[in-house]
Amino acid sequence: MRAWRLYARSPAALLGALLVLAVAAMGLAAPLLYPDDPLGLAGRPLQWPGDNPRFPLGTDPSGRDIAAQIFHGARVSLLIGFAATLIAVAIGIAVGALAGFYGGAADTALMRVTEAFQTLPNFLLLLLLVAVFGSDLRTITVGIGAVSWPPVARLTRAEFLSLRTREFTQAARLQGLGDAHLILREVLPNALPPVLVYASVVMAVSILLESALSFLQLSDPNVPSWGNLIGLGRNVLRTEWFVSAIPGVAILLTILGVSLVGQGLNDALNPRLAGR
Amino acid sequence: MRVLLLALRRLGASIPTLLLILAGLFLLLQLAPGDTVDALMAQMGGGDAALAAELRRFYGLDLPVMARLGDYLWRLVRLDLGFSAIYGKPVATVILERLPATLLLMTASLSFAFAAGMALGVLAARRVNRWPDTLISTLGLVFYATPSFWFGLMAIVVFSVHLQWLPAGGFGDVAMGYTGWEAALDIAWHLVLPTLTLGLIFLAIYLRIMRASMLEVLSLDFVRTARAKGLTETRVVARHVLRNALLPMVTLIGLQAGTMLGGSVVVESVFALPGLGRLAYESVVQRDLNTLLGIVFVSALLVIAVNFVVDLLYARLDPRILSGR
Amino acid sequence: MSGPTRRETLLIAGGALAAAPFAASAQETPRRGGVLTVHFATEQRILNPSLQASTGVYIVGGKIQEPMLDLGADGNPTPCLAESWESTPDGKAITFRLRRGVTWHDGKPFTSADVQFTAMEMWKKILNYGTALQQFLTAVDTPDPHTAVFRYERPMPLGLLLRGLTDLGYVSPKHVYETGDIRQNPANTAPVGTGPFRFVQYERGQHIIAERNANYWRPNMPYLDRVVWRVVTDRAAAAAQMEAGQILFSPYSSLTIADMQRLGRDRRFEATTRGNEGNARTNTLEFNFRRPELADLRVRRAVAHALNIPFFIENFLGPFAKAGTGPIPSVAADYYPEGTPQYGFDRALANRLLDEAGHPRGAGGTRFSVRLHPAPWGEDISLFSTFIQQSLAEVGIRVEIVRLDAAGFLRTVYNDHAFDLATGWHQYRSDPAVSTTVWYRSGSPRGAPWTNQWGWADETIDRIIDDAATEVDPAKRKALYADFVRRAQEELAPWMPIEQIFVSVFNRRVRNAGNNPRWASSSWHDTWLAPA
Repeated sequence: MRAWRLYARSPAALLGALLVLAVAAMGLAAPLLYPDDPLGLAGRPLQWPGDNPRFPLGTDPSGRDIAAQIFHGARVSLLIGFAATLIAVAIGIAVGALAGFYGGAADTALMRVTEAFQTLPNFLLLLLLVAVFGSDLRTITVGIGAVSWPPVARLTRAEFLSLRTREFTQAARLQGLGDAHLILREVLPNALPPVLVYASVVMAVSILLESALSFLQLSDPNVPSWGNLIGLGRNVLRTEWFVSAIPGVAILLTILGVSLVGQGLNDALNPRLAGR
Repeated sequence: MRVLLLALRRLGASIPTLLLILAGLFLLLQLAPGDTVDALMAQMGGGDAALAAELRRFYGLDLPVMARLGDYLWRLVRLDLGFSAIYGKPVATVILERLPATLLLMTASLSFAFAAGMALGVLAARRVNRWPDTLISTLGLVFYATPSFWFGLMAIVVFSVHLQWLPAGGFGDVAMGYTGWEAALDIAWHLVLPTLTLGLIFLAIYLRIMRASMLEVLSLDFVRTARAKGLTETRVVARHVLRNALLPMVTLIGLQAGTMLGGSVVVESVFALPGLGRLAYESVVQRDLNTLLGIVFVSALLVIAVNFVVDLLYARLDPRILSGR
Repeated sequence: MSGPTRRETLLIAGGALAAAPFAASAQETPRRGGVLTVHFATEQRILNPSLQASTGVYIVGGKIQEPMLDLGADGNPTPCLAESWESTPDGKAITFRLRRGVTWHDGKPFTSADVQFTAMEMWKKILNYGTALQQFLTAVDTPDPHTAVFRYERPMPLGLLLRGLTDLGYVSPKHVYETGDIRQNPANTAPVGTGPFRFVQYERGQHIIAERNANYWRPNMPYLDRVVWRVVTDRAAAAAQMEAGQILFSPYSSLTIADMQRLGRDRRFEATTRGNEGNARTNTLEFNFRRPELADLRVRRAVAHALNIPFFIENFLGPFAKAGTGPIPSVAADYYPEGTPQYGFDRALANRLLDEAGHPRGAGGTRFSVRLHPAPWGEDISLFSTFIQQSLAEVGIRVEIVRLDAAGFLRTVYNDHAFDLATGWHQYRSDPAVSTTVWYRSGSPRGAPWTNQWGWADETIDRIIDDAATEVDPAKRKALYADFVRRAQEELAPWMPIEQIFVSVFNRRVRNAGNNPRWASSSWHDTWLAPA
């Protein structure tokens, strides 16, 4: 409750929450406002916004309604962002917790692997995964999760390293509680807040990665995605720049919202730093 | 000397990591549908099955996977990166041709992000919670949230198509036949938009770190003491604060060298730059295994080298580190 | 509007090879000098057209090396390095008399030994499509330095060989290639030829330069001092450079559809299919017969009736495409048959056919779902795949588009057969026997791209194809190919509903541009530049 009050005190954090809610509402309202297939042929291609009252945001090079794709795309972006973040955080916590809790050889081995992943540009690895496993929505989401976990692992490990020697951990250990109990019940809850705050960064990056993939025309073409629209608009950039411009604004606002929420959470959960 | 030893040890420790990555990628790409001969056939615009079989024999693609992996690693030990089927020349040559553009782009973007981020961060911290701070922090957030390729496209629309101030892409204008300084200026001119595009998100990150570190350091005891001793604020900032705030920023450069290379894939594609990032993308698409592994090798070396430099910088910025480790 | 109207362009694109469009600029007196700058859209591994038959190689290598024959303004083979030819009645020996007094760029004389070496070592063994064309070539005899006799195991129709040797008949110098591995010869990227331009430099990612060959065998030619190819992989950037005058010619539809139309309306430029009639292609829709639904002819016909091709062309491709009528495009005047079965847009009929085939609409109005693999080359393929998805949804077939890169596409469709529908291009190369009939003939080895991998074998069409391939009488051959197209249109194993010709965008300063049906690939010996 205290955290919520702290959160609500910041106008920026509230704005962020508002933006995220607005995008979520767009995604929820999409099937009501645009019940037809957003990828269906709606009219003549490349109509400018405002030219035709039926298409307030115009049509894309395939004659599809841009407004419908923006609304349905909100769903896809949030879904990918959320699911990929979940995967990345789960892998990251597992690796980080094991490395930080046990230390020694396990730590060295796990951190070697983490380092290996960090040496490799994550976008390059994602490209490779898409080339190998194809580009349907599920593969892409898993792929993004699979390349985004190393920072989470490092963060979790650092928290575990400092928490495992604390008194409450030692006390629990003396009571003869098992490792699983120690990790899951004692250390993890205390290590979680900074990791959750960082999850907002992972989510923002996930949405960006998906849009970059679809910009290169490597994402799933069967779902209305904002990045797909930007990529399609590239061929007509010099004349019909609106095709690329509109979805870009949508991505920008979504990521802005997610990062503001993350920052608000950070201030609320780490009150000693608030007001900085 | 001890720094050097430490750094060298880190370098040595990363070699197994590197081999792990290369072998992993090699096996991963075996799972991809199609091989480099398929890509070659597409580039040729067709051909018959006998020709494809002949090409596979020629490039050794008919051997078992493990034999090829062993062969590859053995060649790597002798620092031979192999031959690119797609480009028809040694991988080392192909990479060396593309390296300058990427190095230039990355250095320029990092310098820009570092310098601008520092300046804006200091400015914001000194006017904390007043309008310059609010404005700068908001800008930072917006930059952070902007997809780089979209920013690049919009910059092309505004600065190249409508205002016609800057070139829309390419790496210098060959047909003008520039030499010497003119050529350098021409390349710099072409790199303005790509640098801004790639540097934007790093600018946002550095700005935030700089501002936070400034605020933290400004509240520390020794700064208060310095002020109390009657030193002017500028001298305090220059002497103590910068020195301390630089630490996290330098750390970040080390961490982000890899990320940046990933970002350059997209930026080089937007601005049609002949760089390493686009080469990486092309070699994935063309199943040019030797070239891809070569790039990963070189970029890993690059990341390791950057971290090496960061370690050295660290030691200079904060002499305590040596005794602390 | 200053460019050709839509109707005119269609007429040019669609009409037979009328001589009129080629005569237009012949009256002016050519000027010597100038540099022709050319858009080079895809980096090439090699530049020697004896080793690789593709537009990316012809656009450069075709100015430096020369073929046995060229195509004249009337669309028929004309002499180039071969001056005359004759065939024995059984079609098993074809004699070429070679041009005298021709020298390679390094000063050595061009002789029949070069032709013999190139034919046996390059066309028959390495050149894509050449290997198929020369499959039954057993030897090339050289009774004297200016005569080459091609000996075939089976009858070789003279028309097929002559047309084939325009694209697949580039000669390389034996003395440069005879030692070492042909595939790794340095001349592959620094070609040595007999052509009007001499290779100077290839700077990867930047440019290629060739300069005037002062010893060219055509007197007083070429007119240009230099040709510079500028590597511009970004299509939008290339359009900007055309507008700035930095590029004077962009070949083979290398700009975006939007830019080609926009520049075509600008009076400084001409966007046209003229000069590319020898390079026609059709968009394909390939059906996998391993899916029981698609093995049913009624379903394939329903799919054809569900697509409004004229609407798609008008709204998405613009004036540079037209509705196709079968595997042999209308520009191939010597083989194009009239009156073959066609499938007009008729959604009601499509629905009825699907009902009859036993696929009633289920939940959500869907009858069944299919995967569609679009080939990753060409903006039009991507647009067409979306249009197929949209159109088939209307008749209750749900289409999931599966996007793969080039290697993945070829492997998945032509080797693994893991597709339901696929769409891409069929390139028509001079004669149906070169690269068209393989799309229909059964028995192609698994994995051979752009061949019949549909799980479909039709005895009728196989017999027609085999008969035509060895028929030496031109009239009988033409009749056989008419039967071939008719059968192809009845069965719709692959359907070829759109016909396209590459678009060239010229700056109007370029003269004698497009004055033969394979101009972009040809040697440009008579091309000249008007003052700016």
